[in-house]
Amino acid sequence: MKYIDHNIPEEILNIPAEQFELVERENIKDEKFKTEPIGFFKDAMRRMGKSKPTMISLYIIVAIIIAALIVPLFTGYKYDEQNVSFKNLPPKIPGIEKLGIADGSRVLTNRKASSLEDPDRFPEGCIIEIVNEYEYKGTPVVDVKVDYYKYLGVPEDQYHWFGTDYLGRDLMTRLFRGTRISLLIAFFSVITNVIIGVIYGAISGYYGGKVDMLMTHFAEVLDGLPYIVMTILFMILLGPGMFSIILALCVTGWIGTSRLIRAQFYRFKGREYVLAARTLGVKDITLIFRHILPNTVGPLITRAMIAIPGAIFSESFLAYIGLGISPPEPSIGILLADGQNVLLQYPNQTLFPAILISLLMIAFNLFANGLRDALDPSQRGEE
Amino acid sequence: MFKYILGRFGAMLLTLFLVMTLSFWIIRLMPMSIFEHPDVHPTIQKMLEEQMHLDKPMYMQYYYFIEGIITEGDFGTSVKIRPGMSAFEIIESRIPPTVLLNVVSLLFSIPMGIIVGTIAALKRGKWIDTLISFLIVICISVPSFVFASLLQYTFTFKLPWFPTLYDSAAGSFAAMMHSLTLPIIALALNPIATIARYLRGELIETLSSEYLLLARTKGLTRAQATVRHAFRNSLVPIANTIIPLITGVMGGSLVVEKMFAVPGMGGQLIDSILAGDHFLTVALLIFYSAISLCTVLIIDISYGIIDPRIRIGGRKE
Repeated sequence: MKYIDHNIPEEILNIPAEQFELVERENIKDEKFKTEPIGFFKDAMRRMGKSKPTMISLYIIVAIIIAALIVPLFTGYKYDEQNVSFKNLPPKIPGIEKLGIADGSRVLTNRKASSLEDPDRFPEGCIIEIVNEYEYKGTPVVDVKVDYYKYLGVPEDQYHWFGTDYLGRDLMTRLFRGTRISLLIAFFSVITNVIIGVIYGAISGYYGGKVDMLMTHFAEVLDGLPYIVMTILFMILLGPGMFSIILALCVTGWIGTSRLIRAQFYRFKGREYVLAARTLGVKDITLIFRHILPNTVGPLITRAMIAIPGAIFSESFLAYIGLGISPPEPSIGILLADGQNVLLQYPNQTLFPAILISLLMIAFNLFANGLRDALDPSQRGEE
Repeated sequence: MFKYILGRFGAMLLTLFLVMTLSFWIIRLMPMSIFEHPDVHPTIQKMLEEQMHLDKPMYMQYYYFIEGIITEGDFGTSVKIRPGMSAFEIIESRIPPTVLLNVVSLLFSIPMGIIVGTIAALKRGKWIDTLISFLIVICISVPSFVFASLLQYTFTFKLPWFPTLYDSAAGSFAAMMHSLTLPIIALALNPIATIARYLRGELIETLSSEYLLLARTKGLTRAQATVRHAFRNSLVPIANTIIPLITGVMGGSLVVEKMFAVPGMGGQLIDSILAGDHFLTVALLIFYSAISLCTVLIIDISYGIIDPRIRIGGRKE
């Protein structure tokens, strides 16, 4: 043993270990951090919480998701329950009906004035007011506002908040069930796209060289194909149905994600910590998923959120051109397309799905923007 | 420059060829025979199949399909919607309304988007900027067919300013455009908002740049500095937003055409999909791809002319 300081007496240097005693074991006097340590996600969430539009849109999204889950259970109707004698009913909402809106009334035009007396055609008490009186070829004709529910003999306690469709199905039940399906399609197609994109981009970005060149060219060619044409072709091939829509949306949907991941891999794969891990003998697959991929989580989440409204849009679009899910299952797009056929007669059948899809898309877009600002403050304000 | 155009053109042809190939294989891979129907006598079915080369092996069918398109412009024959009529003849009359609708919507939206975006950027932080930003979010989010429904109900039914449907028999061009106004607005709102949002961001950045300060210190007025210095630099990168917009407008027009009964390719495509007339569908899709790829090509080339950097480096995001 060599000691640097030779002035220390021998017996002090050779005190046996058991003679030592801790001065303080209970109260360690180290100063504690007053603040919590803040990680990347916590920081991002805090930033997001400060942005009002983001939080409002988050609440709207959550509210719509909850409504989509529970409303169809409580309306008392089933989404495929038909009642052809009560078709195309106007909206009637308990409570609000007293205010004169959503009271189940409708103006019937061009009725013979004499028929108003006929209780078979106009049951007792259904006429609210006569809007317009005129003569057509000598016969007195009227436009009359009626309580359409009484007019058709709908039971007193039966309410259809959003009205019914051309088969007498309750529109509210169908709308929220449709929302559930549209959201499911959107989530699953986006998740699938992200998974494919991550794997493709990771391989292409990590290995680089010839592999990368081939994969990038392939993606580029695929990306050049018009998106709509590809989706329609694959829908024709797969036939109608939820699963087909999800698959059709994945044909070219993953390319953007893979590009993003590839760029991120190029950025991070040359870092020292990756080199260190590789020197220690870490396998490629571990390097890709454990060491490099976590760096891309922020942009990835943002990208996925931005893709969701796109997928909702695509679903409605496909429904419009007759390639939606198979009936009687509803989706927002199917309801919009059905409503469009009777837009001028029964605008309520288009109005409610239109409001819901608009609200959903606006909320998702705003939320995605807020999320991007929160996860990547350096990009704030850029579009 | 010539090399650049040639390269772009080659890429477009390759893509188009790929669309044809994919369409062919997807339609032929469908399980049932097109002429299988209880009313069709097996002999006739066989004859029809022979006539359309359906009895040959797959690769021969593929060869005939591509050869027909290239040498004779033969895109197949409609079998359900207008049986026996060549798909090309059906489509021919339907191209002009579609192209008109799409091109006008795009051409209308670019200057509108630039104006709106510029106003928002110059009045940054004022109420008008807030209002525009709010409208931009709505116009970007809400799908064009929802706008179309809304416009159709409001401006043809509640306020009868415009005809409900497209008036193909309209005497004058003005009357025709009048009946096309609503579909054009419905399609243009999204591109306007996208361009405006992009330009607003770009302009705000440029307006606070040092070279603009220099321009002002040189003695230029704010308007002069904005138009001569800020504007030009902000305008060039818009190309990257316009190309994705084309696909959006083309897709939206499929549905909007049907809503306003515009006798274009959109309505025809929906009808042929619903009727299961796959030959016609494929022909329509190929034409559709051709139109959208041509538009992309035109914009690509014109931006190659405007901005030499794109020409040399290739368009990359």
